[in-house]
Amino acid sequence: MGNENRIINGLLKLHIVLCLLFIFAPIAGSFVFSLNSDRFPSLPLGTFSTDWYRAIWEDPLVWQGFGNTLIVGLTVAVIATLLGFGGAYTDFRYNFTGKSIYVALALLPPTIPVVIMGLAMLAFLSRINLSGTTISVIIAHGVMCAPFAMAIIRLRLSQMDPDLEAASWNMGGNQWQTLRYVIIPFAKPAIFAALFITMAVSFDEFAVAWFVSGLNETLPVKILGFLQGQVSPRINAIGSLAFLSSMTLIILAQLLLRSPEDQKK
Amino acid sequence: MTKRPTFFSLILSLPLLIWQLTFFLFPLLFLVAISFWTVRNFQMTPDLNFGNWERVLSRGVFWDAYLRTFILATAAAAITSAIAFPASYAISFKMSEKAKRWMIFILIIPFFTSYLVRVYSLQVFLSDAGIINAAFAYIGLGPFSMLNNAFGVIVGMVTLTLPLVILLQTFSLNFVNRDLIEAAHNLRCGRLRTVFAVIAPSAKVGLVIAALFSFILSFGDFVSPLYLGGGNPPTLSIMITDFTKSGQQWPRAAVVAIMMIATLLTTAFAAITYAYKERGK
Amino acid sequence: MKVDTQMEVQSEAIVRFDNVVKRFGSFVAVKKADFEIGRGEFLAIMGSSGCGKTTTLRMLAGLEDPSEGAIYLDGEKVNGKATWDRDTPMVWQSLALFPFLTVQENVEFALKMRGVGKEERRRRAEKWLEKMQITEFASRNINQLSGGQKQRVALARALVTEPKILLLDEPLSALDAHLKVRMQAVLSNLQKDLGITFVYVTHSMSEAFSMADRVVIMSRGQIEQIGTPEEIYREPYNRFVAEFLGSANIFDGTVAGPSGADGWRVTFDGGETVLPKAELPDASAGQAVTFIVSAENMQLSRPDAGQDGIAATIAGEEFIGGTAMLFLETDTGQELKVQKSHDELALLNRQAGAKLVVHWAAEHCHILPGENK
Repeated sequence: MGNENRIINGLLKLHIVLCLLFIFAPIAGSFVFSLNSDRFPSLPLGTFSTDWYRAIWEDPLVWQGFGNTLIVGLTVAVIATLLGFGGAYTDFRYNFTGKSIYVALALLPPTIPVVIMGLAMLAFLSRINLSGTTISVIIAHGVMCAPFAMAIIRLRLSQMDPDLEAASWNMGGNQWQTLRYVIIPFAKPAIFAALFITMAVSFDEFAVAWFVSGLNETLPVKILGFLQGQVSPRINAIGSLAFLSSMTLIILAQLLLRSPEDQKK
Repeated sequence: MTKRPTFFSLILSLPLLIWQLTFFLFPLLFLVAISFWTVRNFQMTPDLNFGNWERVLSRGVFWDAYLRTFILATAAAAITSAIAFPASYAISFKMSEKAKRWMIFILIIPFFTSYLVRVYSLQVFLSDAGIINAAFAYIGLGPFSMLNNAFGVIVGMVTLTLPLVILLQTFSLNFVNRDLIEAAHNLRCGRLRTVFAVIAPSAKVGLVIAALFSFILSFGDFVSPLYLGGGNPPTLSIMITDFTKSGQQWPRAAVVAIMMIATLLTTAFAAITYAYKERGK
Repeated sequence: MKVDTQMEVQSEAIVRFDNVVKRFGSFVAVKKADFEIGRGEFLAIMGSSGCGKTTTLRMLAGLEDPSEGAIYLDGEKVNGKATWDRDTPMVWQSLALFPFLTVQENVEFALKMRGVGKEERRRRAEKWLEKMQITEFASRNINQLSGGQKQRVALARALVTEPKILLLDEPLSALDAHLKVRMQAVLSNLQKDLGITFVYVTHSMSEAFSMADRVVIMSRGQIEQIGTPEEIYREPYNRFVAEFLGSANIFDGTVAGPSGADGWRVTFDGGETVLPKAELPDASAGQAVTFIVSAENMQLSRPDAGQDGIAATIAGEEFIGGTAMLFLETDTGQELKVQKSHDELALLNRQAGAKLVVHWAAEHCHILPGENK
């Protein structure tokens, strides 16, 4: 276009930089603070220190929380991905009355405030004597994560030539064989991405877990505990570690989702 | 192909349905039920008691909190949208495809950081003796009070929703027909006027939905109001946690929660109706 | 439905459509399809998009169930039989090759679904890879192949089970023109070699007419005519077919009386002609009659040549290889098409607006049986 304006474009770029600064300052800050000796950092910053990491390293409760987070994360990822795959395939393949309700019910949970979800879950799960157990956290996270898995896999299925499935039936593959040899291979990258991303979401969904779980605390619950009691900079160290592990999962998912067709020779 | 559901189709579709009915819809309905229960001696008993509704809805504290939450969320949605739009516009119209993909990836990263950790970090930035005020002190200004007030809460909510709003706005701007813009220029519509007269209306649905998401997330947020707003006076979500912690007043918490969901649904319905309303008859 | 059934099915039928109707909600996609497909026949089903040709094919494949009527495959009624229980492989318009499998794995697919062992799968797939001359690509990914190579993979994949019938749904539509012609030859030869039945759906007249033994013409769910390419071209059954072929001038006239011993004098808006009695054995004066004259059988003369005929004005011209199609308009507004060689046309004044006289010999008039009942 011949009518670009340098000044305007420069200002827009500056605006983007400021937005990113605003978004990432707290995240970067948390990293910096986790390696800072001050209890409550300010300018000028204190000296470099790994004390906070040592403190969490030596805290058995943190380890226990970490273990729970891992178990919950893995289980949730598998359950949410299985449920999400079924939902995504149903939406992709079938038309039936009430389908919009089915899809809405499947995708709605993330729009309900976590406080309310937590309250409802706790009320319900304590009624059926499940509150405070690891299972209850898994159930709650499953509800929150299944929509993400469904969305990711649905997106992949929408890239599939619908004739592929019919072609498989036409060549003698029944529905189960077609699922096994066509749909799943095609959706495989998205299935793995869904596994990783739901695991990352589970790591992060502290609020529901806080309400629902009792003693068997997951890592985010632990973080909330720190915040409620005396504010401890250890949260920065834990947050940074959790962030690094989440990012590892996301980058793995990203690599999987990137044009899988090219990966084969 | 076949009309009647097959065993195959049921195996795939039912688990999710059953799971979400049992663990999502049913708990929410259960919440409605317990809003009518009674609490005696810190024990809930099933009942059909309208007292909880009466008590909550007749109290000024609730309506103050309701109004405060609504205004905070609306302000957060408006401010976030306003900040996001120039950025989304620049990403969608001024960047190469490759740069766009990178921006999208960068903007997804915050979703995988703990919001709580970010808010804690913001406390360090915003407090009276914090990093920003220390920086102001160097040039002889301040200290400014940025924590435990509405400013802090809004900053927190904008932090929470800005990446999402930029992403949603960018996606909707990507769908604006580029020819429309050149047609507008060709008809002597100035650059800035084109943005407001052509681009924004073309992307209306996406812009409204982005603002709606910002509103929904801010309205239900309890981390910012608690840790950046000081928790006092409370917002609705803080009220819920307070009710549950003090004296097992779950039915009242349920009433507040139902009011919140009703508000969210009404707002969402209104916003979506507005977004899809076509001009002309 | 009236279908020209004078053509006999060549041999024992492998497929029979018995008054098959297909509805999608209130939309009728196929209306009372009633025809047979002979063993070893190359049948093309032709029509524009949405005419029901693909639905007809998909019903045969078992991908759609008929709403009414019955489909017989090899003597067996197959309504309700799942596609995976039939042996009706299809070559898809999109080719529908599996992008996550290699060429070899694609070809082996149908055998794998049938539980054929690994060794035999490989052996049989290799045979077809060789037959289709794609052995060298066996371990390649689908996306690395050219359009023509993909086409061959799709054929090998469909034929690997050695079926009695092969269904093809516009398989050549994605190819460019010269490749299309080459693949037509490949398909024709393949069908003759294998001696199996091909059912070929297409919107292209040139594809259908150059390959098929018989052609089914469909429009809006209705079968308009079934016949050999020659029959259809020489004697289109009704107005739709004549218009679809695109090269016929259609006239709506009235019988004015006998003309000699073996003809009828027919008047129409803007002129009159003689219709051979062979075309219309019985007629009475005043009877309406619709007939066609093919564009290449039309003659042109200068207005001053004294030739009897219809006066018409040139409206435009279209270049068609070695010939040109001249579009004219009569004084009464009827459009006429005349196809002539360039040499012949060069002798005439062909500027837009120029006047010419159009005429034809009586033997080139054919009535449309479907319009004269």
